[in-house]
Amino acid sequence: MRETVQGIYDYIAENLYLSRPDVEVKGRQLSTALLISLLTGLRQGKQLIIGEPGLGKTTSAEYVCALLYRFPLGIIWGSEVSGHPEQTEEKIIGRPDLGRLNLGEEVVVWSHFTLLPVKIVDEINRLPETKQSMILDGVDRGNWGYLNDSIINDEYCLFATANYQDKGTNTIIAPLIDRFDVMVESKHPGANLAYLIGMRGPDGSTLRDERLEQEFLQVLNERIPYNVKMERVERLCDEFGEALARKAGVPTLSRSGRAAIRSDMDGIPFDLDANAFLRMILAELSFCHRYGQKRSHEGCQEGCHFTGYLCGAVRNCISNRFPITVRNFSQALAWFLGDEKVDLEHLLAVLPYTLAHRLQWKDEATAQREKESRADPLAIYMAKQAVKEMHRRYMEQGPLVKNALAVACRILEGEALEPIVGDHPIYREILLDLGKEAS
Amino acid sequence: MRNPFSDFRILPYQKREIPLERIVRAKEDVMDKIVGGYLRLVEDEVKDLVWLVEHSRVVKAYSAAVKGIRDLQYDVDDIEEFCAELDSSSRIPYMISGPAGIYVSALVNHAQEDRIVLRLREYQRTFHFLGYRLPEGKVLILQGDVGDFIGAGLSGGRLVVEGSAGNWCGAGMMKGEILVTEHAGQSTGEWMRGGEIHVDGRIRSVGKTLFGGKIYQRGKVLAPQDLSGEI
Repeated sequence: MRETVQGIYDYIAENLYLSRPDVEVKGRQLSTALLISLLTGLRQGKQLIIGEPGLGKTTSAEYVCALLYRFPLGIIWGSEVSGHPEQTEEKIIGRPDLGRLNLGEEVVVWSHFTLLPVKIVDEINRLPETKQSMILDGVDRGNWGYLNDSIINDEYCLFATANYQDKGTNTIIAPLIDRFDVMVESKHPGANLAYLIGMRGPDGSTLRDERLEQEFLQVLNERIPYNVKMERVERLCDEFGEALARKAGVPTLSRSGRAAIRSDMDGIPFDLDANAFLRMILAELSFCHRYGQKRSHEGCQEGCHFTGYLCGAVRNCISNRFPITVRNFSQALAWFLGDEKVDLEHLLAVLPYTLAHRLQWKDEATAQREKESRADPLAIYMAKQAVKEMHRRYMEQGPLVKNALAVACRILEGEALEPIVGDHPIYREILLDLGKEAS
Repeated sequence: MRNPFSDFRILPYQKREIPLERIVRAKEDVMDKIVGGYLRLVEDEVKDLVWLVEHSRVVKAYSAAVKGIRDLQYDVDDIEEFCAELDSSSRIPYMISGPAGIYVSALVNHAQEDRIVLRLREYQRTFHFLGYRLPEGKVLILQGDVGDFIGAGLSGGRLVVEGSAGNWCGAGMMKGEILVTEHAGQSTGEWMRGGEIHVDGRIRSVGKTLFGGKIYQRGKVLAPQDLSGEI
């Protein structure tokens, strides 16, 4: 199955979404936008794709969804929610069956966006915040409700695109943006690849199948129970998968195949370095020596001993969604590369994209960085720099931190040992967990 | 509460230790070995807590002391600390002056440092036999008054006593130099075969039998007599 997923990656990279590789993991050159999209699709994640208009934000998501979930492009296009201020709940989630309503029956007609496991929201930041919230609430658990009815998606992923801020955009408020697992930029591919794209035009025709699209529509619009409908949809997906293999020579995954992959990913353990490094990161992004933890409305005390750590540069406290995302995506990357454990390299590759949208930098931290030469948007660039900085600290202190954690384990198991102390927030956090220091 | 560190149970750990603790522990380890060596020497060489100064017994005690410290890694601070232990510690139940001085001399002679200063003024006890067989290239400075047989059998080193020396100073010395800044006791330079003894103060008496070497008192030669006569 790994070869299948790698085949999908290669097919998209070579035929559909041309982009420069911008990251090297375990000796393999990869395009982060495409890689992260693929992992989002496999991991049932939520991805925010930012970028200039026309640089493939939506189309890259469409290609990934079509190939990973075996839906023809026509069906995906029809299920997309486009962000504009007049968008309504009825268009996004579902509406009453007006015919049946006239007969006195309250029956919901679910939107294709709600029904399908692949969900794409184009320009999410053009939606009012209430509608953004509605979508993200639904995607949080796959649970969609309208009137007195509800459906639960067993399998789903979300891709939302956002242009950079302009007059027509709303902000994505912090509690909403935190629900996205990752944020990537769909970059300009460079003059030469752009020339090729121009000469060749978009080649998504292999992902179209008008006959099957009609059949999909028929099933989706049928008034039958959700479960029955999705079983029929799945049969059509399998049929489209076979067509893809015939036409494009690219094998794809069935629903059970995707479930098996997710199960394999869940079983990939973190090695002790990745484990300790993630704890160090969490400590730096949640710790406050003065006030117990980071809080967005509380600033740092002047002259704080921990000023040099990231807790002194960001305003907010990192959420509990962050470690979940990191686990999911680093396991997914390790699986994709065929590794048995999540190690530092996997973490380093995914961390910037899991952090970029979650960190609220203080003005002075932003001012320091914004004029620096870079190849990424500021948020991702600053996240990359932060990860580099934390990694440097881990390389210096890693053995000590691991020892401190090992000693802490023994102390909690009743051994009479003294906790290890050191100059990093993680040591304070360990002491707090050992009940050695008042919180 | 669930143990949030359980992932690290498999990791061997090291106890918390500050560098000073490690240094102190290493020092204590060395001191234990030095004291242990001394106690073995006393047990082997001193029967009934009586030790008579006989040439053969001195040589035997020194050989035993050298054997005991052969594999030890120590420095001048350890020697000084051992002197303090001899002076007042309860770790050493009996301090027999002769073997103690011979043992300290063995430590000095086999130390890595060439110049060693022992501050003896602070101690209550008197140390004898310091500077025994001090070899060539070594300088031993003893600050404070010292006991008998200082610099006995001196073997080319330079011994400075910043204070007074007791009887038999430089007894049987072979070569080298002894400088006493105050006074020296009876039988100074007895059986000496070479080298020089300079005493800036008064020498109570010069040894009756001298086989060589020179003894100076306040810059004037006392022995050999014929040389003093010339001056």
